[in-house]
Amino acid sequence: MNLNVDETIGHIKEAISVSEKNRGVLIYTLQRVQQEMNYLPDHAMKMISEKLGIPLSDVYSTASFYKQFYFTPRGKKIVKVCTGTACHVRGASKVMEKLESEFDIKEGKTTPDLSMTLETVGCIGCCGLAPVATVNEYIVGEIDSAKIEEIIEAIKAE
Amino acid sequence: MVNIKINDKHITVKEGTTILEAALQNKIDIPHLCYDKRLVPYGSCRLCIVEVEGQAKLLAACSTPVTPGMSVRTETPKLLKARKTVLELLLVHHPLDCPVCDKAGECKLQDLAFKYGPAESRFKAKRKHEPADTGSPLVERDSNRCVLCGKCVRVCGELQGVGAINIIGRGFESKISPAFDEKLNCEFCGQCIDACPVGALGRRHFRHSARAWFLEPRDNVCPYCSVGCTVTYDLREGKIMRARGVEGKGINNGNLCSKGRFGFDYIYSEKRLASPLIKKNGEFRRVSWEEALKHIAGRIQAIKHAHGADSIGAIGSPRCTVEDNFMLQKFMKSVNSSNNIDSSARFGYAKIQEAVQMSFGLNRLPINHESPLGKDVILVVESDIASTHPVWGLNFLKAKKEGSNLVVADTRETKLTRHSSRWLRVKPGTGVALLNCIIKIALDEGLYDKAKTQKIEGFSFLSETVNDYPPSAVSRITGISEDILVKTAREFLTAKSRLITLTIGASENTKGLDTALAAANLVILTGENPSSLQMPAEFCNTFGLWEAGVKPELGGKNAVSMLYKPGAVKALFVMGENPVITFPDSKTVEEALRSLDFLVVQDIMMTHTAKLANVVLPASCWSEKEGTFINAGGIPQQVNHIVNSFGNSLADWQILKNLSKVMGAEIAIDDIKKLREEFKNNKSVEQPAKLTFNPVTYTAVGEYDTEFPLKMITGNLMQHSGALSCMSKGLGSVIADAFIQVNPADAQRYKIRDNGFVELSSIKGSVMMKAQVSDEVPEGTVFAPVHFSHARINHLTSLSETGSPPICAVKIKAAN
Repeated sequence: MNLNVDETIGHIKEAISVSEKNRGVLIYTLQRVQQEMNYLPDHAMKMISEKLGIPLSDVYSTASFYKQFYFTPRGKKIVKVCTGTACHVRGASKVMEKLESEFDIKEGKTTPDLSMTLETVGCIGCCGLAPVATVNEYIVGEIDSAKIEEIIEAIKAE
Repeated sequence: MVNIKINDKHITVKEGTTILEAALQNKIDIPHLCYDKRLVPYGSCRLCIVEVEGQAKLLAACSTPVTPGMSVRTETPKLLKARKTVLELLLVHHPLDCPVCDKAGECKLQDLAFKYGPAESRFKAKRKHEPADTGSPLVERDSNRCVLCGKCVRVCGELQGVGAINIIGRGFESKISPAFDEKLNCEFCGQCIDACPVGALGRRHFRHSARAWFLEPRDNVCPYCSVGCTVTYDLREGKIMRARGVEGKGINNGNLCSKGRFGFDYIYSEKRLASPLIKKNGEFRRVSWEEALKHIAGRIQAIKHAHGADSIGAIGSPRCTVEDNFMLQKFMKSVNSSNNIDSSARFGYAKIQEAVQMSFGLNRLPINHESPLGKDVILVVESDIASTHPVWGLNFLKAKKEGSNLVVADTRETKLTRHSSRWLRVKPGTGVALLNCIIKIALDEGLYDKAKTQKIEGFSFLSETVNDYPPSAVSRITGISEDILVKTAREFLTAKSRLITLTIGASENTKGLDTALAAANLVILTGENPSSLQMPAEFCNTFGLWEAGVKPELGGKNAVSMLYKPGAVKALFVMGENPVITFPDSKTVEEALRSLDFLVVQDIMMTHTAKLANVVLPASCWSEKEGTFINAGGIPQQVNHIVNSFGNSLADWQILKNLSKVMGAEIAIDDIKKLREEFKNNKSVEQPAKLTFNPVTYTAVGEYDTEFPLKMITGNLMQHSGALSCMSKGLGSVIADAFIQVNPADAQRYKIRDNGFVELSSIKGSVMMKAQVSDEVPEGTVFAPVHFSHARINHLTSLSETGSPPICAVKIKAAN
């Protein structure tokens, strides 16, 4: 994405006021900040509000609308256990239970040492590999007790 | 114009009108929750749906513009069913705690449910159980009652330009809240409360204090600034319980600021005076009116006999009515044969009047509430309109939103600078140099009205004077870069329409007579009408005070000669003013007051000045008496008598009338009607305009020196305007303590903590107060609000006897 709005929109830049331009880049800015910091800390949103001239409540309202934005720090490994129909049938709940008890956290939470965030997803579209989980960008399919130990070890190695 | 039919009624409306507006204009009711005349249509509540012939879908009347020949139905079985369903959906969440809700009886949701039927919802869902926010000042939020119409959010962001609250979250979880679920931290204008159709937002001080159906609404003019808003006060058993703005009423059309909405409770302050007091051996003793007036009459006559009529003086008040002030000047001029009368306007509005007289030859220049709208360029010179005249300030924000180029020259970061198109962060008090520079560029580049202006008196002197103000020099004075100066000047000079605004309040020290004259020179040079220069009066009746003749005429002494030279007068009447706190260089004033032979103070409370008095008389305040306020627009507005006077207090004009009679004078005034008639006959006639250039030079004031390196700006806060607002408990819950704003860099340099006590000194003296570390002020400058009497900021300030702004040089150090 090109942040240089002036260039991208050429002649019509005159027609777009600064405040409208600033509103236009808000979500992109939030995404970039989250990419850098892995969540949206309050002070970062305050700074975005000041720099873009958008009221803080507006910034927070926008961020809180989207599920993609997080307001608490996230783990280095983000584990998403699929709880779709096929995975459910093939024991997704057992995978969750194991991970929850191993790390002593509940769904949606992050371990205190920030090594992992545990989440569930609806379906990731590879029901043939059920039960499935993703660890960051990697997909772990046909999870059995051996594979789950692998996941746990990988996280603990962080 | 467009012809349409609503429920078979033929109506004609302007093009672009929405169906809802067309219906409301013609007294056809369409239910709605989220519509507000002042806001952009939003269409969230879906209650204003209507059937339009030829359209299969139901349309939201609030966001559908009319088209020629449109035929609309507002109440059909289909609509009733749809509205009933919408209401049922709203009632899924709504707690139905009407028995304990302050809104019951005036709640739009309650009324609609009553009209359309459902008492409960067929749908079952969990209700919200959010704790209500009862910890913020003035405003309470109970998000469980909220119907998410978003009106408060839009009023706050769109209209008020604040954006303190917003819809947070999504779906069932969404709620209205400040960011991060914090407490409210805003202007506390309370506009959101009046906008809320249900009981989700309420007044903290009104909570559980009266049911809506027991309240008796009475309109009155607001007693604070000179905008002169109409406020609807709801009374119960003769006591004002709350204040509201009502759409369609007054110049404010429903808008109010925090002073207007929450500041009325000063009249119930425990500091009010209930009976006349005479000081004997340093102690005040309660006496009857008769005794007090006889005592005053005797002393005044004795002093007049010994020292002549010229030894008597009086100070009037911009907070008192026209009648009060007119009676005071009559009492001075015809009963005491003295022209020594003045007011706090000497340090503010008098400078505006002088400039208007000198430059335009006019004896009054009222402002126009709508003046900012539709102007190409608006130049605000070192004035915080959004704080001093908050409701007028809304029109500046609106103008900016509608495309005006809003240029704000101000040292401090204010609401107006945040909303400006360009913020010129000038050094304090350099407005004259900035304006002279624009004049210089106009003359150099020929961007002025040559035909109209070259023959005007003073033109050649003006062009000579401004020669010293090329952008290069002014850039050094103001701290604004040369290209920005040139760019701003060109934008201003080539605009199709323009406006210059500045306030000169008695407490503001960055502007003086010279600033007003420089602005007037620029207005004349561009060939604009005098009305392109808008300089509002300060308080509710500053304009009226001037009209009433509370000014030294025919060689009378002004406030400066009476109060800054001990012995200039022997006896003084002070009506509704507190010179010991509000006048600059207040130590000198206090000395002068102490040296008087006789001091009479009539006021609503025991002020610092009243403590020095020989006799103190209790005055009724606004709402306890009839009268007139003239607003900054020159419009006289009736002040209504809506509550009983406190204790034995009397209206100021009545006190003076009685005193005149006790002194044996024939004044032929028995009632307020006679007084008004005489005022009307005495009013000065409108003079024809006569334009003159009055070239002024910039004088560096309060220059940095080694001992006092900081410049102190004094001024107003949004929630306060002086003694009245400080008596209000409501406003006091927002800000009650004095503070001095210091830039973080200065704070570091002088080792000052945020909220820590500091000692602030000028050549005149020193005071102690808390510091507020903030980058709203630039390095080298500090800002002090002057309202808080305990801080005695005016111990530091000085009088400016020339036309230059009375900026004050100070030093600061942390107090141990």
